[in-house]
Amino acid sequence: MLVRAVGLAKSYRGAGGEPIPVLTGVDLEAKAGELLAVVGASGSGKSTFLNLLGLLEPADAGEIWFDQARVSHLSRRAQAGVRGSRIGYVFQSFLLISRLTALDNVLLAARYVGRDRRAAHAEALALMERLGVAHRRGHYPAQLSGGEQQRVAYCRAVLNRPPLVLADEPTGSVDEGHARVILSELHELARGQGTAVILVTHRTEAAAEADRLLRLHDGRLLPA
Amino acid sequence: MMRLGRWFPRGYAFTVLGIAVGVAGLVTLGAMAERISRFIEGGDRFVRGQISVAGEGMGMGAGFTAGGLLRAAKIAELARVPGVAGVQPQVMLPLRTSTSQFLTLTQELVLGLDLSVPMPNRNYQVLPVRAGRFLAPGDRGVVVLGADFAASRGLHVGSTLALDRGTFRAVGLLDKTLTAPDRFAFVAIEDARDLWLRRDPLLVQVFGAGGLARADLNSGAAVGWLPGEDPDALARRIQRDVSGVNVTIPGELSRLLRESTAFFGALLFGIGALGLVIGGLSLSNTVAAAVFERIRDFGVKRALGATDLQLLREVLGEALTVSLGGGAAGVGLALAIGFAVDARVIRQGQQLFLFSPRLLLFAFAFTAILGAMAAGYATLRIARLSPAEAIRRGS
Repeated sequence: MLVRAVGLAKSYRGAGGEPIPVLTGVDLEAKAGELLAVVGASGSGKSTFLNLLGLLEPADAGEIWFDQARVSHLSRRAQAGVRGSRIGYVFQSFLLISRLTALDNVLLAARYVGRDRRAAHAEALALMERLGVAHRRGHYPAQLSGGEQQRVAYCRAVLNRPPLVLADEPTGSVDEGHARVILSELHELARGQGTAVILVTHRTEAAAEADRLLRLHDGRLLPA
Repeated sequence: MMRLGRWFPRGYAFTVLGIAVGVAGLVTLGAMAERISRFIEGGDRFVRGQISVAGEGMGMGAGFTAGGLLRAAKIAELARVPGVAGVQPQVMLPLRTSTSQFLTLTQELVLGLDLSVPMPNRNYQVLPVRAGRFLAPGDRGVVVLGADFAASRGLHVGSTLALDRGTFRAVGLLDKTLTAPDRFAFVAIEDARDLWLRRDPLLVQVFGAGGLARADLNSGAAVGWLPGEDPDALARRIQRDVSGVNVTIPGELSRLLRESTAFFGALLFGIGALGLVIGGLSLSNTVAAAVFERIRDFGVKRALGATDLQLLREVLGEALTVSLGGGAAGVGLALAIGFAVDARVIRQGQQLFLFSPRLLLFAFAFTAILGAMAAGYATLRIARLSPAEAIRRGS
């Protein structure tokens, strides 16, 4: 899948109600199987950029295209469908649901896209096995370590085999060893499965292994 | 064994507890209102079921037969009025002569009935007997006890009841009617006449001087009417045709009763409104807070592809389960409180709560509807946010 962002702009309201521009016209193209790393100073708008690209919030201006479909202008319901079936998210703070077990958190990804529950269950267990967290499937997030939570969150992000995975500082809250596991998985996604992976990171080793490195500066995305 | 945790949404213990407290408040206040309402309705049914007649003036009769003596000749006159189906002489006496006549609604009374005449009250032709039997013609020295009268003294069928200097054997216990007869002791009219004579020395003198026969010792009479007869018109006909009697007109008495219990009506309304406000606010606030508390989870679920409708369905399902769970716990709590309090006050022959099926059904429906509305409102508020905003606010 070809992902294109054209002229994305976003500003937030400051305490006095004045607009604070974060993104002022971001353009991007990411191809299937490509791993892009986005770096930038804290507050430069990296997370906002991923949120816009992942349809988690609307842009003030600009367009997002997945292949020939302008997804940024779809209805709420249609965008929900795109999020569920074509985008996977890995968040820095994992965002697991505390009332659900690890396995149920992973299966949540399948629930809203109408996948066959039995097939999704088998696939979720296989994924968790590969990531080394299958033995923790019946545990709740509070009973898991940070590294385990991130691996569970990763399983949830990729369960539906989305053609685009957005990872926002996926290694920011885990130790070196777990960070290496996640980065290696993201590489495998791009190389082995042809997934477009866009990674926001401050880890130099992660950025160094990317196919392309981009920097967000003054609301624009530039080659690093 | 089915695990409750599989069925019940996790992490809602405090929400369920909050709802339970609100619903318990609603149900206990409602049960008190139901109890008062049943008492007033019972009295109204009674006065609309018969024409009560007493002699002119004041005597020591109590309750609805308060007035002067109603002599046998007057009873015979009453029976001859066109439209009258039957006249039952009665003697109604306060159980304790020292008791103030002021609280006649809850007073304990001895009611002597002439059982050679069928009960004329159209709405209470047969009183419900829980154990033993009702009085029969020819009975002497026996008593049938109202539910509260018996419970407050620990009496049962076969027990002995001492009244003044006489003793009575209980042959029957009535079911609860939740109105005046619960506090009555029913005896044969001849026994009641004896009691009356023992209590009133003046009456003995008049009786002894030959002015009165035993059949004249009636504190009142219940008059029944023939089918198709207008009871109010008949009561007015009795007033016109029979001199020297006090006649109650059922329609007027019913109106007077309702007017005199208007305070209770207002109290009932107030209790009901208070229950609804307290219970409703507690419930809706608890459910809405529980939904708002999960704002981050909703953001995550929307990021995973949940549509507004899917989320709403999910939240409503959980809210209903939690609300009904809380509702059931609240009803259980209210029942426990009610039964515990009633077990204590029954010693004084009282019952404060009536947990009627309609009240419990209302409590569940109220809980489900309000829970769903609160959850729906909160979900729609959250659905307006973008997934990223919901995650930010909830983090």
